[in-house]
Amino acid sequence: MKNRTKERLLFTALGIPTVICLIAFFWIVYILSMGIGTLNWKILTTSVLQGGMFEMIVGTMYLLLGAAGISGPIGVLAAVYLVEYAPSGKLTRIIDQAINNLAGVPSIVIGLFGYTFFCTQLGLGISLAAGWLTLALMMLPIVIRGSEEAIKMVPVSFKEAALALGTTKWKAISSTTLPAAAPGVVTSVILGIARVAGETAAILFTSCVLITRGLPKSPLDPVMTLSYNIFVKIVALGAPPEDVFGTALVLFLIVASLALSAIILRTHYRRKQPWLR
Amino acid sequence: MIDGAKIDIRNLNVWFGEKHVLKDVSLKIKDNAVTAVMGPSGCGKTTLIRAINRMNDVIAGSRTSGEIYIGGDNIYDSNTNVYELRRKVGMVFQKPNPLPKSIYENVTFGPKIHKMASGKSFDEIVEESLKEAALWNEVKDRMHDSAFSLSGGQQQRLCIARALAVKPEVILMDEPCSALDPAATAKIEQLIRTLTEDYTVIIVTHNMQQAARVSDFTVFLYLGKVIEYGETKRIFENPENVLTEKYITGEFG
Repeated sequence: MKNRTKERLLFTALGIPTVICLIAFFWIVYILSMGIGTLNWKILTTSVLQGGMFEMIVGTMYLLLGAAGISGPIGVLAAVYLVEYAPSGKLTRIIDQAINNLAGVPSIVIGLFGYTFFCTQLGLGISLAAGWLTLALMMLPIVIRGSEEAIKMVPVSFKEAALALGTTKWKAISSTTLPAAAPGVVTSVILGIARVAGETAAILFTSCVLITRGLPKSPLDPVMTLSYNIFVKIVALGAPPEDVFGTALVLFLIVASLALSAIILRTHYRRKQPWLR
Repeated sequence: MIDGAKIDIRNLNVWFGEKHVLKDVSLKIKDNAVTAVMGPSGCGKTTLIRAINRMNDVIAGSRTSGEIYIGGDNIYDSNTNVYELRRKVGMVFQKPNPLPKSIYENVTFGPKIHKMASGKSFDEIVEESLKEAALWNEVKDRMHDSAFSLSGGQQQRLCIARALAVKPEVILMDEPCSALDPAATAKIEQLIRTLTEDYTVIIVTHNMQQAARVSDFTVFLYLGKVIEYGETKRIFENPENVLTEKYITGEFG
């Protein structure tokens, strides 16, 4: 009798945190859903100058896509280096630690670095490009770690088979390991995007402005984003929270659909990776 | 002792870190024959064959000394083209390892790397190699299916076809049947006998009956040293060394 009670107690104890998370999640969704009344197709596609959200949504998208385009390739190549080429030793351990540290840097500090280096030193000014580089820095640890995991999960036998047939090391990796790791790599890029999609502090003074005339015409133009808009309205303009529920909901939906697509992608590609079973 | 040697191994020593795995191995491997490498676990069988296509090089911390002559050239010479060596000396692994591609692409992988064909002629190479590996009839209608849709025995024959596609001279096999059922094993043993016509085969095996069935010559390794080497029939019926006799009679394994 005692054992069964113990098990039941443990089960309940483990279940409570899960329930708490679910409650918190649904409460957030509930708050956001209060903004759904203000949303309709028209608002999403009308220019901000006419009370819509168009430039903000597109601006957020531009920012995310550019950041992914930079951190994706760099992250994957770094992961390949770390897993396949890096000699075990002090330098590699330092690099490893540096990546962990980068992940822990507060976003406002990254934003400050972005401002002083990308905007001022490199002369990019408050721009899309500076935002790309700054967000890429934040995405990098996620992409690198996720890609490392994806690469490590590919059976070494593939690479060995290629090597035994007379390929160079890089050819073996690029023709067997990388294609097999691709789904995992893509998933980690998407998760990286989801991580920075709502980033405000990092892009606060590196790429955003409250209003632009139309969409940015070059990477050197500043951009409007959903998160920045929420921040400014509440803090600088003192607007009531209800005004930005709609914006917040749109941002939330973008991030949620990104995370969901990562899960769907991963499940879909599991079928094509029979060696995982 | 062995004339017409295809592979001449002289004073081969291999270390993995501090561990001295192969000690002063000298062998002459006959061409167009099957040579079995036998011995208890950990005696260096796999290390020995991996030395012949220099696959030990990819293991961090490995060190090799000595020479291996194939066709008159020392493959451990500093200006050896390792990639060409691995084309000439093919390898089949213990656990079938098809590439995560279609059956067709598995076979064309090697020829593509070595630029051995183009366009239509790939079809011919694929057919030829799959026929040589006794797999053609079973897969000719589903060449573009994933290699993983094949059974274990079929996958192993695919790996053999893949190795044959680059027209090697030597084929190294590391316990190729140990992951397979008896029926698949029998098919592959049959296949090995037909290969000696055109290739030199070296097969590592744990299975003494297999060595007796399949090979012309046998090497008995123990703790990294060659204990005995000669014609299979003679070794099994009349072993010269007491260790060999003990291994064959199953006193240790």
